[in-house]
Amino acid sequence: MTGWSVIRFLHVTSAALWVGGQLTVSLVVLPLARRMLDGEQRGRVLREIGRRFGLFTGAVFLPVQIGTGVLLAWHKGVTWESLAYPGYGRILAAKFLLFTAVMAAAGLHGWANGRGQAEFARAMAVTSLVGSVGIVLLAAALPPT
Amino acid sequence: MTPTDVRIGPAPQVFSPGPPRRPRASWHSRANAIVVGWLALTVLAVVAQHRLPEPRWLVIHMFLLGAVTNAIVIWSEHFAVALLRVRAERWDLIRLGALNAAVVTVLYGATGGHPGLAAAAAGGVVAAVAWHVSALIRMARHALPSRFGHVIAWYIAAGVALVTGGTLGGLMVSQRVPWAWHERMHAAHAEVNLLGWVGLTVLGTLFTLWPTILRTRVSDWVGVSARWALRLAVPGLALTTGGLLLAVRWAAVAGLAAYAAAVAVALAPLAETVRRRRPHTPAAWVIAAGIGWFEIAILTDVVIVATHPQGEVAEALAPLLPLVILGFVAQILLGALTHLLPVVLGGGPARLKANVALLERGWTVRLAAANLAVPLLALPLPPLVSLAGWGLVLVALGSFVVLAVAALILTRRPSPALTGVVAGCLLTAVAVAVATSGGPEPRATATVGRQTVEVTLADMRIRPGTIQAAPGTRLVLHVVNRDAQHHDLRLATGEHTPLLGPGESATLQLGPLTRDVEGWCTVAGHRAAGMTMRIVLLGDHSAHAHDTGAAMTHNPADLDLTAPMSPGWKPYDATLRPAPGGTEHHVEIHAKETDLQVAPGVRQRMWTFDGTVPGPVLRGKVGDVFTITFVNDGTMGHGIDFHAGALAPDRPMRTIQPGERLTYRFRANRAGAWLYHCSTMPMLQHIANGMYGAVIIDPPGLPRVDREYVLVQGELYLGQPGSAAQVAKLRDGRPDAWMFNGTAAGYDHAPLTARAGERVRIWVVAAGPGSGTAFHIVGAQFDTAYKEGAYLLHRGGTGGAQVLDLAPAQGGYVETVFPEPGYYPFVDHDVLHGEAGAHGMFQVTE
Repeated sequence: MTGWSVIRFLHVTSAALWVGGQLTVSLVVLPLARRMLDGEQRGRVLREIGRRFGLFTGAVFLPVQIGTGVLLAWHKGVTWESLAYPGYGRILAAKFLLFTAVMAAAGLHGWANGRGQAEFARAMAVTSLVGSVGIVLLAAALPPT
Repeated sequence: MTPTDVRIGPAPQVFSPGPPRRPRASWHSRANAIVVGWLALTVLAVVAQHRLPEPRWLVIHMFLLGAVTNAIVIWSEHFAVALLRVRAERWDLIRLGALNAAVVTVLYGATGGHPGLAAAAAGGVVAAVAWHVSALIRMARHALPSRFGHVIAWYIAAGVALVTGGTLGGLMVSQRVPWAWHERMHAAHAEVNLLGWVGLTVLGTLFTLWPTILRTRVSDWVGVSARWALRLAVPGLALTTGGLLLAVRWAAVAGLAAYAAAVAVALAPLAETVRRRRPHTPAAWVIAAGIGWFEIAILTDVVIVATHPQGEVAEALAPLLPLVILGFVAQILLGALTHLLPVVLGGGPARLKANVALLERGWTVRLAAANLAVPLLALPLPPLVSLAGWGLVLVALGSFVVLAVAALILTRRPSPALTGVVAGCLLTAVAVAVATSGGPEPRATATVGRQTVEVTLADMRIRPGTIQAAPGTRLVLHVVNRDAQHHDLRLATGEHTPLLGPGESATLQLGPLTRDVEGWCTVAGHRAAGMTMRIVLLGDHSAHAHDTGAAMTHNPADLDLTAPMSPGWKPYDATLRPAPGGTEHHVEIHAKETDLQVAPGVRQRMWTFDGTVPGPVLRGKVGDVFTITFVNDGTMGHGIDFHAGALAPDRPMRTIQPGERLTYRFRANRAGAWLYHCSTMPMLQHIANGMYGAVIIDPPGLPRVDREYVLVQGELYLGQPGSAAQVAKLRDGRPDAWMFNGTAAGYDHAPLTARAGERVRIWVVAAGPGSGTAFHIVGAQFDTAYKEGAYLLHRGGTGGAQVLDLAPAQGGYVETVFPEPGYYPFVDHDVLHGEAGAHGMFQVTE
C-alpha cells in the first residue's frame, strides 16, 4: 500500500457516499417519508435531508472528488492533449463531462426546489441519480491505474 | 348494396359499433410515438452512417420496416375502423408489439451476422402483418356497408404484398438462397414491397385523406376509380414480381405498365379534387410533392426493368431508391403525420391549434430541402454533392422529428421521474459514446511507415483477401471496383469508400495499425457472398519477414477460386500422347516433397511422384511390361501401388526410406484407366497430399481421335501435410476443395483447347481418396463411354451419355465432338465438388 492507494481510497469512498447517498434517499428514505409522514413534516424532513446532502456535496464531496481525481490523473500521466486519445484519455474525458452534467443537474434540482418547482426538481434529481450510475459505469471501464 | 339495404343474418357481434374500449387519442399518441421513434432512429442512422456495419441497408430498413411499416399498420387499422364504423380489435397493441420486436430482431440479425435469427424474425414480421390483414378482413366482413369500404381492399392487397416481399426478404437474409437467385429476389423484394405494401396503402388512403386535407368533398367517382385501379394494380404487381423472379422480362415490364395504368386511374379522382380546391395547407403541398415523385419513380422503374437484363435489375434500381424512399414515401408519411398528428393527439382546441402551428413551423424550408435532396442523391454526382443531399435529408427529416417529439411531449407531459430517467440515460449514452469512440488505445509501437496496397473489388471478392502488416503501419488502400456491379469497402475501424461504380476508385488512409481489422462490402448480400477481407497484424518477429510490404496470405476459409493464379504458374499438361512404341517401358519415378500451387494464389507443400500432382501419366497397350524404378527423394518413407498390374504386393509395394530405390515390374494384362498411388500407411494422408497418378492401357482397337486429354480428380486438404488440423479434416472427409490434375479450378484459368467438329477423348481417373466423380461437360454430350474395362456406349448409335460416373480409384474415358466454338465448362456434376474446384473449361475455336 502506498500513498496513492490512500488517495484512490478517498476518491472511491467519496463517490460511493455521493451515489449511495442519492440511491438511499431515492429508494429508502423518500418512499418511507411519503408513507409515514404528513405533508408538513415530510416537507421539513426532506428539506433538511436536501440541505444536509447539499452541504456534504459542497463541503466534502466536490473538493475530495476533484482534488483526488486531479492527483490521480497527474499520477497516471494524463495531459490535456491525451484526453482526446482513444482509450484511457477519452474514457476519462467522458467521465469528467458526465460528472459536470450531473453536478449541473444536481444544482438545478436545488435551485428548482428553492423556487417551488417540484416537478422539475424531481426530474433533475432522477437525472442526477441516473447520470451518477453512468459515472460509476465509466469508472469501471477505466483501465487500472 | 346501398346504405339502405337490409342484411339478413346474424347480427355482427365482435365489431359492432359501440363506445371505444379506451381513449383512442391516448392510444394514437403512443402508437404514433413508435413511428416518430423509428424516424428518429433513421435520422441517427443517417448521421452515424460511417460507424454502422451495413449503413445503406440499415437506413433503408429502419425507415421502411420501422417507421413506414408501423405507420401503415397503425393508420390502415385506424382508417378501417373509421370508414367501416366498427370497433378496433382487442389485439392491436400486442400485434404492434410483436411487429416491432420482429423488426428490431431483423435489423440486429441481418447486421450482426446472425442470418438464421434474421430470417426467423422476418417470418415474425410477415406473421404480424398477416395477422393485421386477417383483422382487416374480419372487420370488412362484419361491417355494415360503407361508402368508402372499397379502401379496405387496398389495405388487404397491400398486406398480401408485404407478406410476399417479406418472405423474399427473409429468404435473402437467411443467406441460404443460391447467389444466382439473389439478384432476382432482390429486385422482386424491392418492387413488391415499395409498389405493393407502400404504394397500394398510400393510394388507398389518399382516396379519402386527400379531400380531407384539402377540406373539400370526396369526388363522386372515387369508388369506381378505386375498384378499377385495384383490378389493374394487383395482377400487374403479381406479374412484375413473378417476371422478376423467373427472369421473364416482358412479364415484369407488362406488370409494371399495368401498375402504372392503375396509378393513373387511381389518381384521376384526386386530380379532379385539386381542380375544385387547390392545395393550400403544408400537408397538402408535401403530399402533392410525394405523389409527383411517385409518378416519376414508376415511369423510371418501367424504363429500367425494360432496358436492363435480368440479374442486373436490382443493381440498376439502386439509384431509384432515393427517389422512391425520400421523394415519395418519406414525403407522404411526413405530410400525413403533419395533418393527422395534431388531430389524434387531441388535448382540446387550443392544444390542437398549437400543435398544428408547431408541426407546420418552417414547412417551406423543409419541403424545399427534401425535394432538392432527391435529385442530389438519385443522380450520379460527386461525393461532396451527395453529402450535401444527405445534409438536406437531415434538415427535412430531423426537424420534423424534433417538432413531432415536442408536440408529443407538450400534449402528453411525461412524469418527472420518467423525464429524469430519460435525461440521465441520454447523458450517460453520450458519455459512453465519447468514451468508446476511436477504438482502443494505440499501443506504443514503432512507426513502421506507410504502405500502399491495391485492393480490387470484383467477382464477389475483395482481393487481396488478407493483408498482413506490421503493428504501427499506416496502410493506404487504393480501392478499385473492377466489376460491372457497384461495390464499396468498409473497414471495422470506420473508414469506408463511397459506393463505387464500375471502374471507379477511392483511397482509404488508415491510422497506425494496432489490431486486426475486418473489411467488407456493404451492398446487401455481398458480404454473405464472400466480399470480405482482413488486415492481419504481424508479430514483431514476422514483421521482419515481410518488411518488403503488405503481403497476401491464405486462410482455407478464404479460398477464392476466381482469383488469378500466381505469376509463373503452369498448368499440369493434360494432353495425353499416344503410347510409345515397343512393349517394354522403363520409367523412373522420384518421390518428392514439393511446393505447388493447388488453388488460385494458394501454394502448399505436397507429397508428389516426380514433383507433380498427379504424377507422370504412363501409357501402353495390353500386354506391355512396365519397369518402374522408384526412388525416394523425400524425408519420410513412401511406396507405390500400380492398379494396372496384378502381382503379389509383398515386395514391390513395400515402403522405402529416404534415399532408397525400388524396382517395380508389372505386366499390363488388361485395358483401362488405372490409378497408382503411394502405398505407405497412413495411405489416406499420402494420397490426400498428392501421391497418385494414372496408367492408361489402351483397349484393343482404340481408334485415333483428334485430341486426347487425361484428368485425374483429387481432393484438396489445405494445411501443413500431416498436421493435426489437416488430419482432422481428412478423418472427417471435409476437403477444402476438389482438383483436376492437382489444381482447384486450374483449367478455368488455363482452358484446355479444341476445335469445333473435332473428336476429343477425355480419360478420367478418380483418385479420391474419399470421393469419386460424376464427370460432365456442360453443353456437350458423350457418344462413347468406357468405364472400368468395358464400353457403356459406342459411337455410331443414337444413344448418348451425360456423365461418366467413377467411384474412388475407378477410371474410364468419354468422347465428344464440340458442335460449335465457345467455352464449355467441364465439372464433377456432384455440384458441391464442381463449385469447390472440380471445374475447368474447354476453349473451342473454329
